[in-house]
Amino acid sequence: MTYPDPDEPVPPARPGVRPFLQSGPQHSTGGYTPTGEHPPVEQSTNSLRPFVITSGRTDGGDPDIGMETQVTVVPGAPPSRLSPETRAIVSLCEESPISVAEISARLRLHLGVCRILVGDLRAAGQLDVHVLDNDTPDPETIMRVIRGLRSIS
Amino acid sequence: MDFDPSANRVVGTARVSGSAPKKAPVPVKIIVAGGFGVGKTTTVGAISEIAPLTTEAEMTSESVGIDDPGQATMKTGTTVAMDFGVLTIDQTLKLYIFGTPGQTRFAFMWDDLVKGALGALVVVDTNRIDDCYPAVDYFERAGLPFVVGINTFNGQLSYSLDEVRWALAVREDVPVISFDARFRGSVRDALLVVLDQALDKAIRMKSS
Repeated sequence: MTYPDPDEPVPPARPGVRPFLQSGPQHSTGGYTPTGEHPPVEQSTNSLRPFVITSGRTDGGDPDIGMETQVTVVPGAPPSRLSPETRAIVSLCEESPISVAEISARLRLHLGVCRILVGDLRAAGQLDVHVLDNDTPDPETIMRVIRGLRSIS
Repeated sequence: MDFDPSANRVVGTARVSGSAPKKAPVPVKIIVAGGFGVGKTTTVGAISEIAPLTTEAEMTSESVGIDDPGQATMKTGTTVAMDFGVLTIDQTLKLYIFGTPGQTRFAFMWDDLVKGALGALVVVDTNRIDDCYPAVDYFERAGLPFVVGINTFNGQLSYSLDEVRWALAVREDVPVISFDARFRGSVRDALLVVLDQALDKAIRMKSS
């Protein structure tokens, strides 16, 4: 492969890597397929850059990991070699349970990137990801939120 | 060791190494939607116990000449900032409030956002009522309980609630209320209306 300008500081997007969510609604139905049946016509280098730290993976891993999903460290997890980003995530989670959205905001990590890395850390046994059993909250939980809200001034 | 387990707020300095993390609370969320500049962030900030945080999410936008009329239909990756806040109900329950841009072309993100949400507050500026149509459309389709909240920036309404209801043509059971995004009590009351709707739905679902 030859690049038109070898001095070009930003190499062109690797072909075949699908910009995040480029496939629209399909993203929730399956993982990233390197052979992508629908190669994007237009590639935006811009949208790829945050995903360098996920080794180019752009599809959000586990769809069960929501923005509000709580994450904690696994107590006594064996030390493991972590990238700066994943190490930062683990140390944030050490303080107290924290949501994926808060991790993303506090570390200024793209939400999609954050989700992938959190999924990785769960797979590596470093983090517990507390996925809820049921998606729809029960009346009792809602009542508790109502009582809690009423009590604030 | 002086350790208060009820302190849910993160101090950040005291990290006791080797201490087991506290049990994770159950997160619930409410969506605050609406067009740009209608006061979503103000709403989130008024009720949140922390300064609103911003997360960036990337999504496909199908710009059919929306931003640039000269452009043909094309898909591009757009990064959209989402503001959110947190309210700790108790040690085991946390309410997240996500403010989201209400554009039709961001609808992809909403599927993710709406999953498991209790309900939504659609913030409306009566000077630009059409800005909220995509959000109303979306929540109607998604079957998510929602409330139309007219943000009374200056304490006055350009249109009556009935006129807004007429313009939006929302179902009878969708509350149309006014509130002031700058005041915590007002936002709290608006969210309580959302929660009432959520409770109704949850009870209906349980009994069916």
